[in-house]
This record gives sequence, C-alpha cells and structure tokens, in this order.
Amino acid sequence: MRHYETGVIIAPNLSDEEIDQQIKQMAEVIASMKGQLHREERWGKRKLAYPIKKFADGYYVFLHYESEANVPAELERRFRQSDQILRFLTVKKPPTQRRPLKKGEKEAEEEAPQLGVSEVEATGEKEKSRDEEKKKVKEGEAESKEREKDKGREVF
Amino acid sequence: MAKEEKVDKAQFKRFFPAKKKVCRFCQMDVREIDYKNVDILRRYVPEKGKLSPRRTTGTCSFHQRRLAQAVKRARIMALLPFVAE
Repeated sequence: MRHYETGVIIAPNLSDEEIDQQIKQMAEVIASMKGQLHREERWGKRKLAYPIKKFADGYYVFLHYESEANVPAELERRFRQSDQILRFLTVKKPPTQRRPLKKGEKEAEEEAPQLGVSEVEATGEKEKSRDEEKKKVKEGEAESKEREKDKGREVF
Repeated sequence: MAKEEKVDKAQFKRFFPAKKKVCRFCQMDVREIDYKNVDILRRYVPEKGKLSPRRTTGTCSFHQRRLAQAVKRARIMALLPFVAE
C-alpha cells in the first residue's frame, strides 16, 4: 500500500452534476480496488496557465488515497479514454515527512504533523491564508526563527 | 589600470560586503515542496517562466532539486506556464 495523490483537470464546460459524477466515478474505482480515499481537494474553476484543448479554464480536483499500484494505473487508463479530463498527474507521496536529525539536534517531542492528511480546507480559505502568509513573510523579517519554522510546516 | 580596478573592487567589498543568502526552505524546515503551492513556486519563476538559478536565490542544492521537480509538475498541471511572454 502506498500513498498517492492524483490531480485532475476537468473540462470547464461540464455542469456541476457532471463534475460530481466524474469525481464519484474516480472514488468508486479507488474503493472497488480496495484503496482508501483519504480526502479530496476541490479547487474549483481556475484559470489555466496556458490553454488546453482550447479551454482557458479548468476544474481542479485532487484525490489523496492509499492503495496498491494498480489503482492509479486504472484511473489513468480511464482518464486517457475520457475527453472530459484535460490533464492528470499522479504523484507518489513519500512515506514520512520527517527529516533526519542534524548533528547535535535533539529529538523533537511532538510528531511532525502528517502533511496532506491534516489540512482539510476549503479552497477559498486556503488561498486567503496563503496570501496572508506571504504578506507576513514580507513584513516580518525580524520574526523569531521558531515561528518561521511552524509557519513553514503549515504552508507546505 | 587593471591593477587599480582590482584594488577598487577589494575596497568595495570591504565596505559593502555581499549579504549572505540563505535557503528559505531550510529556514522554514521544509522537506518536500508541493507543486500545488503556486504562490511559493512563483517567487522562483520570474516573468519569462524560467526557474531562477541558485546563485540568485540562494536556495541550497537539496531544495533546488525539489523546487525544480515541483515547478515541472506545476507546468504539467497548467499552474505555471512553460513559456511566458
């Protein structure tokens, strides 16, 4: 079992129900092959950096799941057949996010937050908080290093 | 003439030492760079859409490699342009 993250761009000319249908189908594929869907991240409609199949926007969805390797293969096979999927990208998630201790560094007390699984947020909120982070980073050069570290964990 | 120039440079350096650049990712203790974090990636991709070299940003080699990977993924997902005018 491995952690995967599959990002999909769905054609923007579909109705909300059709998009829901697409996402439901993906979830079913994962479930039917004994995979575990951890969470889905919907960014909604977003401008593409360059046109794909003459569309200027796309509906972004990201699925985080744990499964055997045949699940992403099956998903991608389906994506290739469908012309409603503009783009997809599957990324393997590293098993641990912890970094090896540097020389002379003590073992941290709390477990590093499991990235990805813990941050379930609506897109709008996320975008906003990101902007705020950015501002903060610009303003607060003098901020203590410790706080900077915490922030880093949140952002990434 | 050439010699003079050299001295000037040395003096310049003494009075205005170059600010030491540090890797921002190391400062924030980041291990993996996510390609979905477009705002952060944007800072390393100026107008042309090319990834800035380490010598200008001060990113360490470990994070520069991750960053390059993330930018390439973001381009595939149309979050960043391959080329921009």
